Amino acid sequence: MKKLTITLSLMLAFSPVLAENIYINGDVSSRCSIVQDTAGRWGNPSANVLTTLPASGGQVPIIRFDYTLANAYYASISTPISFSSSPSLTDSTVFTGVVSVTQTSSSDQSGYQAASTTPAANTRQYGLTIAGSTWFSATSVATHGGGNNTPFPSGSYTGIVVASCIAM
Amino acid sequence: MNRFALLLLLITTSSSAHQMSPTYPKLGLTHIAGVKKVEMQIFNAREDVEFYEIGVFDVNWKPINFVSLYKIIKIDYLSTVKFDVYLTDADSLAAEYLCSRSKLRSDKNNQAMLATRICSRFK
Repeated sequence: MKKLTITLSLMLAFSPVLAENIYINGDVSSRCSIVQDTAGRWGNPSANVLTTLPASGGQVPIIRFDYTLANAYYASISTPISFSSSPSLTDSTVFTGVVSVTQTSSSDQSGYQAASTTPAANTRQYGLTIAGSTWFSATSVATHGGGNNTPFPSGSYTGIVVASCIAM
Repeated sequence: MNRFALLLLLITTSSSAHQMSPTYPKLGLTHIAGVKKVEMQIFNAREDVEFYEIGVFDVNWKPINFVSLYKIIKIDYLSTVKFDVYLTDADSLAAEYLCSRSKLRSDKNNQAMLATRICSRFK
């Protein structure tokens, strides 16, 4: 009996512990992405005008917002109010811009344009209230010379559209 | 079905995106008294962008002083970079947004270029 007790005690002492650590892994990824869907380009339909309108040889930039949380972000898009690079200009330039919703992943997002606000003259802000994807276009027109219609000097011109995804 | 389509869209077409997380960062304590820290990360899926500038702003979008190893961070295409942002206790009370903005090169003709900016909000 004593031998059996000792044997059992030894067996229990050296038996492996039948337990394992079970890990739970997870990554926190961004819930809002801004994607350049289509690059913008200015056309030059007349000497004193640069425009992104396709009818004038331009290309309207398209920006896509992907967001997987509803009521968590604003989309804010600003059209250029100056050139970030250009030849030396001798006259003033007037910039105008229009931002609009061009496509949505859900019909529930159809009210975005009507509900949008303009926190600044060149900026339109949208509340992203329905999770999904939304495509925005940002049309920009630059007119040189005011009433004088002074031609743009030859060279390359660059303007910047700023697309922001801002947490609510 | 809609969710599947959205998931497919996100997987297949997020090839030129800019992402930053977390969306609602929380400032934590550091080993220095009076200084708080938050850890962020940026993922660069924009092939045309190499650098991102970070900034901290109050509720009226006025810049707030902060310290980070670099204010303009080089992030290679399809790479993720983690960075720490340090704020004093006083500045942390006013800080509302932490933003990253893509820095663009002006070497292309007649372009209306796109700068992307993502702003997280302090909780």
